[in-house]
Amino acid sequence: MRRVDLRLEHASGEVVGFFWNDRPVQGRRGESLATALLANGIKVLAWTRKSHRPLGYSGNYLSGVLARVDGVPNVRLDLFPVAAGVRVEMQNCWPSPAFDVLRLSRLIPSGWIQGGFEHTNLVPSGTALFQRWEAILAFLAGSARPATHTGEVAVPPARRLSAGRLVIGGGPAGCAAANEAAAQGLDVVLVTRGHDLARYARAAGLARPVLDERVTLVTGVEVFGAYREGALLLGAPHDPSLGALALEAEEIVLATGRRACPPVVPGMWLPGVMEARTALIMASEQAVAPGERVVVVGNGDQEALARRLRQLGVKVVAVRPLGDLRRVAGRNRVKAAYFAERIACDALVHSGPWLTEASLTFQGRAEGLLQLHEQRPCDWQLVGAAAEPDQPVPVAAPASRHTLLCPCFDVSSHEVQALVEQGITDLEVIKRLTSCGMGPCQGQPCWDSLRAWVSARSGIALELLARPTLRPPRRALSVAQAAGLADVVEPLK
Amino acid sequence: MSMPNPLPAKASIIIVGAGIQGLSLAFNLAELGVRDILVLDAGYWQGGASGRNGTLIRGAFSSPEWTRFFAHSCELWQGLSRRLGENVMYSRRGYTMVGERSATAGLLDRTLAVHKECGIHSHLLTPGRLREVLPALAHERVSAALHLPDSGVAPHHAAMHAYRRACEARGVSIHYRTCVTAIDQSAGRVSGVRVGDQRIASDTLVLAGGAQSNALAQMAGVPLDGYPMRLEAMALEPTRPLIGPAVALLDRLCYMHQTARGEVVGGAEVAERPQHTLNADVPVMAATARAYVEMFPQLGHARILRQWAGLVHISKDFGPLLGAHHALPGLFVSAGWCYGHAGAPAAGELLAKAIVSGQVDERMRPFAVDRFELNRPVVEPGIVLSHFE
Repeated sequence: MRRVDLRLEHASGEVVGFFWNDRPVQGRRGESLATALLANGIKVLAWTRKSHRPLGYSGNYLSGVLARVDGVPNVRLDLFPVAAGVRVEMQNCWPSPAFDVLRLSRLIPSGWIQGGFEHTNLVPSGTALFQRWEAILAFLAGSARPATHTGEVAVPPARRLSAGRLVIGGGPAGCAAANEAAAQGLDVVLVTRGHDLARYARAAGLARPVLDERVTLVTGVEVFGAYREGALLLGAPHDPSLGALALEAEEIVLATGRRACPPVVPGMWLPGVMEARTALIMASEQAVAPGERVVVVGNGDQEALARRLRQLGVKVVAVRPLGDLRRVAGRNRVKAAYFAERIACDALVHSGPWLTEASLTFQGRAEGLLQLHEQRPCDWQLVGAAAEPDQPVPVAAPASRHTLLCPCFDVSSHEVQALVEQGITDLEVIKRLTSCGMGPCQGQPCWDSLRAWVSARSGIALELLARPTLRPPRRALSVAQAAGLADVVEPLK
Repeated sequence: MSMPNPLPAKASIIIVGAGIQGLSLAFNLAELGVRDILVLDAGYWQGGASGRNGTLIRGAFSSPEWTRFFAHSCELWQGLSRRLGENVMYSRRGYTMVGERSATAGLLDRTLAVHKECGIHSHLLTPGRLREVLPALAHERVSAALHLPDSGVAPHHAAMHAYRRACEARGVSIHYRTCVTAIDQSAGRVSGVRVGDQRIASDTLVLAGGAQSNALAQMAGVPLDGYPMRLEAMALEPTRPLIGPAVALLDRLCYMHQTARGEVVGGAEVAERPQHTLNADVPVMAATARAYVEMFPQLGHARILRQWAGLVHISKDFGPLLGAHHALPGLFVSAGWCYGHAGAPAAGELLAKAIVSGQVDERMRPFAVDRFELNRPVVEPGIVLSHFE
């Protein structure tokens, strides 16, 4: 096999050895395991749950970067820094990644394995075989072996943090909002999930914003949930050995930006497809290209993105409007992108459709006794890209080729089509019948894909199709981190 | 499961609430030959508590009344796939009640005696046997464990799907997103309901509206003991099987199991002012996480996928309110359910019999709607719930 090297010229950093499926590989200190593996040409990091389709580092689908790291299952490789001697192992294989019998399930026609693991008439309960059948289902669905350790895990103490103004998001807009309040003499806390400020803006070539030194900066923390009518927010450090944060503030500013959702066209799940922010930060900070021949698509911003990627040394072979993309082709990884013509490539970077982070605003405004809807007024301020309207998600024209709406759980457009034809268009019900969006990403981006797809096929306006409830903590919080919260958040008395 | 027809002008029986209670009752009524059954629900299919519960099927408790009722229900669960013609995925994987304090070991001893008296199959697990049943448990913390081999879990998605299919195959008309706005009476008995402007006539009405039960009773102008209360649960990221049976950690008011999808789903109760909201909060998640870290250390690094809240209707003694309502002829109630998923097959069967034949089964009688007025509450010490003091 030809040796793939996706390292760009500006790569620096000490070379560190670690293990992928017991095989020694090299990474650079400061980069994530996902980046290091991609730099080694290792594009397939995981398998979808039912059909064992390959998944990789995309910035879209979390399942693609979950692996076992030093005996702990479901570790996010895109957040775990390379360290000497770390043992990383692929999950959802049996008996081993090198000889994986489960891969045969890809030969099963996808129409046969519809629905979640809890819908099957093949072996009804109450029969002698059922418990065995259920055990097999549980084994397959579980994907990952439980943790190896058996001793009690230390509970990192949680802490409370209150502020006059709390800014969530460390991009230019978040920094500006924080600086403005600090200048007014307010007590300001800025929380960002990045390990540093404005990673995306800097990757795009902008200068690092200067943060007023009176602002308390908290990095590497994902704010994942809003509680008690938006009065209490929770955040969790990516590093599981650090405790969770309970955040309160008189003013809350969301500068959470936007993320590029995959357009609903066939093949978007293939390893090699990457969201623009992920690709740009990786190429800039970590000096790794998304592929050897990269196609860039975007919603008007594709030329700028391509220019920046080229500056960084990435070979961009075509730049096209997002709406022209018909499908991405390949069996195990991207081989080509189809527009009016076929363009051979090994990576596709999509800039848009850009959607705001909907979880926090949903939880801040949600109310309802039968179903939660955004209906409570909420005085949070949205700044920067977070304040901009969502872009429409393109949906491929009806064709015989199916599209995966939820790749991690192998929910295809054919499966949802059958439900829509029965008159079932309620996304909460479709979620329960198909398990769409119930995996590690908890519906982001899959419920946006599902929503756009159901709207396009049923003719129901997008605004009338409520997203399923966006529930925290979307795997941002570990059990041990959550346990620490018992000491800082009192029950309502 | 096609688009619903328009609402009829009359029905032989109207059931308000198309959760598992309403559907189980409709199915059993249809099986007894009742036609023109109409089921109305203000929410969506698989919403409400029937789409948010912990899916545990516990077939025995610590009081004879609860034990006889739920043992019957558990038995019905075991044959339910055949009965409905759809797979309810009832998993007879056992249910282990774990005590940590020595006082709880005493409660489990007394519970075992009640099970013997009721003819229920259960046994205390020796430390060695407990290690085989729950190898991942922190055994040094355990004082006693009582195991119910016939109990287990049934995913609510599958059960709700199966009941709905079975009902529709028998001609039951089910309407979701259809909110009852008034209850009509004439000559001192039920005469129908209204959905907005539309009137639907019926001389028999069943309230099976879960947390909305008080509001519905008020609409009918009758008293109903109980109040709506939020319960919360959370799901962990899937792994391959680690925890075999369903588990109740009695001293932590915590219940849990690992689903056939690999997620560990459970919740612990905390003492809080009862909340009437579907928004989840932090303390239950934290208490549940603490229970997991201490009792199942291998879960310590696991990630929490989602947490959610559901609303149940809680009676003074936590037991169901099941049967004819004493204050209004033609009105029946199936409310007060906090173990409603487990109890639905029995409740549907016994209430259907009571409605059709007027005969109240002995297993259902203790849970009569007027028992508090008659000062006959049912005391059940072995449940994983408490009132806020």
